[in-house]
Amino acid sequence: MFDFWKKRRSASVAKDRLSIAIMSDRGGNQTYPFINNLKKEIVEVVRKYVGVRGIEIKKEIDGNFEAISIDVFLEKDRHI
Amino acid sequence: MGIVIAVISGKGGVGKTTAVANLGLGVAMNGKRCAVVDFDIGQRNLDMILGLENRVVYDIVQVMDGEATLKQALIKSKVNDNLRFLAASQSKDKRVLNSKKVQKLVKELKENFEYVILDSPAGIESGFEHTIEFADAAIIVVNPEVSSIRDADRAIGILDSKSQKVKEGGEVAKYLIINRIVPEMVQSGEMLKSDDILDILNIKLVGKVPEDSGVIDASNQGKPIILDKHSVAGQAYKRIAARLCGKKIDMKDVEVADSGLFRKLAGIFR
Repeated sequence: MFDFWKKRRSASVAKDRLSIAIMSDRGGNQTYPFINNLKKEIVEVVRKYVGVRGIEIKKEIDGNFEAISIDVFLEKDRHI
Repeated sequence: MGIVIAVISGKGGVGKTTAVANLGLGVAMNGKRCAVVDFDIGQRNLDMILGLENRVVYDIVQVMDGEATLKQALIKSKVNDNLRFLAASQSKDKRVLNSKKVQKLVKELKENFEYVILDSPAGIESGFEHTIEFADAAIIVVNPEVSSIRDADRAIGILDSKSQKVKEGGEVAKYLIINRIVPEMVQSGEMLKSDDILDILNIKLVGKVPEDSGVIDASNQGKPIILDKHSVAGQAYKRIAARLCGKKIDMKDVEVADSGLFRKLAGIFR
């Protein structure tokens, strides 16, 4: 009887485990499909004002909040 | 201009190469000119499944490097005139591929065939990325098993970000094949149902292939299982190939047990 139950449920256990694993795989992916365009546009905008060396965009998830953190690295010998 | 379909899986050993061989032959049996291409550089396998390993003279890397023409390198199938095969290199490393060369080759194939089916290497490394880069559609092969499904999801994620079509603002058509279904296990709740897998991966189903011991026998002989009229897997590939050719064929529910007694009876008459 016990064996019977164990067997019946293994496919649904698999479904639950997979759903969670895949959700976290996708979330941990750190990217949005638009991330490259976003980078390009931000660099363009900032460059109007100051020299840009690089940019880093991270997707951050904390509990219920999802945020985009953007770091723009500036040229060292900039003249402002 | 033909259509380019990349067959991918994420995890290895799920039956990707078998699917490529059978779908290629199936499409050819539907009267379409079809080329199957082994992109698994360094681990050539499709030649064995097709029974053409003795006929390989030139390989894909030699064509890309201009050491042979595509025409010289394409091998004609023994069983169907519409099917041609391009072998992977066995000696080289998959790092020899680059986007420009791949694009040129894929373009030439598209101009000469109605269907071009690419057998991707397992994993999600550069070889995989080159296979999907210029594809119009992808077929994802999974087994009803957790690691295969999880890896497939990762591969789909990369497909969505690296494909040229997506970069140009379009979309790659994605279709799922669930391979090696054991109906009895699905019935008893020991194996994931197709619907559950579709829920998780969220892509369109193009076919379900039941587990079939004949597949090993077929690969032993180098005769794709689709040629075996009595094989359940062969019949499943036949239906999928017809769907790829635009025919409307109902999804057969291979998960319910018309399998049990009926299959045993059919086995007697083989």
